[in-house]
Amino acid sequence: MSTVNEKITEKIRSEAQRLLSSGEIAAFIGYEAGSLPMSVRPFVARKPEDASRLVWNSFCVLNLANYLPALLKSFEPPRRPGDPPPEGPLPKVGILATGCWSRNIVVQIKENQVDRDRVVIVGVPSRGMVSARKVKEAVGERDIQACTEEDHSLKISGEGFEQELNRWDVVRDNCKTCVHPDPVIYDILIGDPAGERQVQDRFAQVDEIEHKSLEERWDWFADSFSSCVRCYACRNACPLCYCPTCFVDDSRPQWVGKSTEQTDTMLFHILRAYHCAGRCTDCGSCESVCPVGIPMRLLTKKLNKDVLEMYGSEAGMSLDEPLPLTTYNPADPQGFVLTEKSEKGGDR
Amino acid sequence: MKALKLDRNAIGQWLSAMAGERDIYVPAPDGPAKGTWTLLTDYSMPEIKPGVPARPVKNFLFPQPETLLKFSTVPTDPNCCLPSEPEENGRKNVVFGVRPCDARSIGLNALACKADTYYQANMEKNAIIGLTCSQVCSTCFCSETGGSPMGTEGCDVSLTEIDGSYIARAMTERGEALLALAESSGKEVTDSDISAVEALEEKARAGSDEIRNPEEQLRAKDLMELYNAPFWQELADRCINCGACTFLCPTCYCFDIQDETLHGKGRRIRCQDSCMFPLFTLHASGHNPRGQKIQRVRNRFMHKMKYFPDRFGPISCVGCGRCVRDCPVNIDIREVMRSLLHI
Amino acid sequence: MGTTSEKNWEPKIVAFLCNWCSYAGADLAGVSRFQYPPNIRIIRLPCSGRVSANMILDALRSGADGVLVSGCHPGDCHYISGNLFARRRFALLNNLLEFVGIEPGRVNFSWVSASEGEQFAEVVKEVTDKVKKLGPSTRLVKRIG
Repeated sequence: MSTVNEKITEKIRSEAQRLLSSGEIAAFIGYEAGSLPMSVRPFVARKPEDASRLVWNSFCVLNLANYLPALLKSFEPPRRPGDPPPEGPLPKVGILATGCWSRNIVVQIKENQVDRDRVVIVGVPSRGMVSARKVKEAVGERDIQACTEEDHSLKISGEGFEQELNRWDVVRDNCKTCVHPDPVIYDILIGDPAGERQVQDRFAQVDEIEHKSLEERWDWFADSFSSCVRCYACRNACPLCYCPTCFVDDSRPQWVGKSTEQTDTMLFHILRAYHCAGRCTDCGSCESVCPVGIPMRLLTKKLNKDVLEMYGSEAGMSLDEPLPLTTYNPADPQGFVLTEKSEKGGDR
Repeated sequence: MKALKLDRNAIGQWLSAMAGERDIYVPAPDGPAKGTWTLLTDYSMPEIKPGVPARPVKNFLFPQPETLLKFSTVPTDPNCCLPSEPEENGRKNVVFGVRPCDARSIGLNALACKADTYYQANMEKNAIIGLTCSQVCSTCFCSETGGSPMGTEGCDVSLTEIDGSYIARAMTERGEALLALAESSGKEVTDSDISAVEALEEKARAGSDEIRNPEEQLRAKDLMELYNAPFWQELADRCINCGACTFLCPTCYCFDIQDETLHGKGRRIRCQDSCMFPLFTLHASGHNPRGQKIQRVRNRFMHKMKYFPDRFGPISCVGCGRCVRDCPVNIDIREVMRSLLHI
Repeated sequence: MGTTSEKNWEPKIVAFLCNWCSYAGADLAGVSRFQYPPNIRIIRLPCSGRVSANMILDALRSGADGVLVSGCHPGDCHYISGNLFARRRFALLNNLLEFVGIEPGRVNFSWVSASEGEQFAEVVKEVTDKVKKLGPSTRLVKRIG
């Protein structure tokens, strides 16, 4: 009996093989096996025979949409600013997409980073990805030498121990509170749609912090972000971050200092999260790749909550709707505005 | 050189004796700062987990950030724009429980930082008390880079755990002086203690794998052949160009210099920089010699495996495995090293 | 930013005002001799839509004890809708700053038209009072030696 993921892997391989050998796409973005237990590596298959290296399992945590704009650009002939767009059809790229990744592709399309006609989206309904950090904690931070995955369990072993974990117990927090596991756009769908999930308290983690006092919130922020090394893995693993020059690299004016001093680290995280407002799909890529375990996802989750509550919108749900910060409603809540305090409605 | 046998109690007494003149830092066992080096306040043998802590020891040699000088920007100040020395608190440190790979990195970086007076001063300021490894983790590969889990290079005092006690061996004069503070609480080592340590050293030598002295092989290879190797594109395909590997690497020593000024005060700091960032090599003209991701990925490994050994002898990697463990896209330097060796 | 610990501490407040309404409102307050506290330093911008979170946080980083952002009333924007786009961004920023523990009242938003000189003076009074109560800003302030 093969597991769900093994079946998906088979289908991914055959679809990628077909697309690459028919010449429909020039490259396929997927995952291949990694060198460590619980690791996979993003992989760009360029030849039909590469397709057999593709895998799918519960550790595919980095959002593949991250690679899409740059990979598409790499197939375009070089041109200078102001040159006319290239003539004729350009090569296409295939990509795997779960619910959140597909929503990120929608955001990229809306922001003119990706041309829908040049992408072949192979949708995979997500069963939730596992947090390697949670697994490490569950086995007492011991050195993990092997991990085998069944549909609902993980077998972890190392020197002198073997432990079986319930898969759902170690699934990432963002996946546990995910409402849209199915891709919202796709050309090919692999596996069965999971349907909308009913999640109680999707924003429980955010609520917990909101209920703290002001001082406690500041302490939480200061403590949990203090070990940041400013490696920018969170920024670079994010499919929303494609600016040619990031605000952290601006020098006139310099918005944030370059060192790991508290103020500069905090400002980096506030602004990084804020730049994702109305665009973030809570894919959890940032938190999963952080080498020091900073919960920066809670900042974007807070913004997602507010965007949903105030503007009734979730990022990337459809190609027709504008992104929430590129539009407005004359009746938007404005209770925070000093001169509008007395006005009724929307007082928050 | 002096050697003592210390039980856990004796270590506690030794730590509190050293705390009189030095601040003692150990890896934090838990909490949000887990794996970062924190000031020890209760003087008992700290809990040190197998493997390397999250942060390398280089943060003591390259403090983040390090103030190089200060100045005033007030035009009416007679000292306006004249550099002045930053104040120092004058305390020296003991960094305790440093793994052999980390300890070895200090000397490797010193090869490139010979003329770096700040680095030299920080070497002077920080005494290293090493702790050899009784367990080799799945991401460890120190013996493939010229080190050993029983290594003592870079340590002032090296500790080896044997049956719940520690054999402490002074490796330098400074270590000798520090270990003298444990004389009252420790015991003399016996011949059987020495032979137990030697047996572990022998085991570490025997137990290591196929790659030996990669630096010699790499130095012998043609630079352009390595540079033009076919596998760089595949690495670049998945690299996201974050700086996790460089910032967690004990032997990445590149830095950025910034002048921070605000309200009439200014200071020049240096903080770590990463060759993974496009800004690292951006020229004022706008030209960027490593503007492409593949160029940056390649440079990091070429620097460690080819340019550094060509210039200084050893490879610039101590096999701590942090980059292997924490790379978001599983770029495994062990594979890169093997691929380079096979060219 | 200068004196912080003394008893006679006066807050420094950075005010980002849109050119067409709030800046003109401030001007009207001046020519009409409406008194308001001298704690604000005005930065004139084309539109409240030009105000980015970077600017607001840069003011805090540089040691401003308070920030005021003021634009045209919704519907009155010189550029038709700049303030309506900005309103969404401000609402999210305001909540996010509170979420990470920045005191409510450090960063303030208002709508003041060109004809509201008296209201402008009122807003500045209110913001100054609030910031005075909060005391000198310590969070997200960059310190150099």
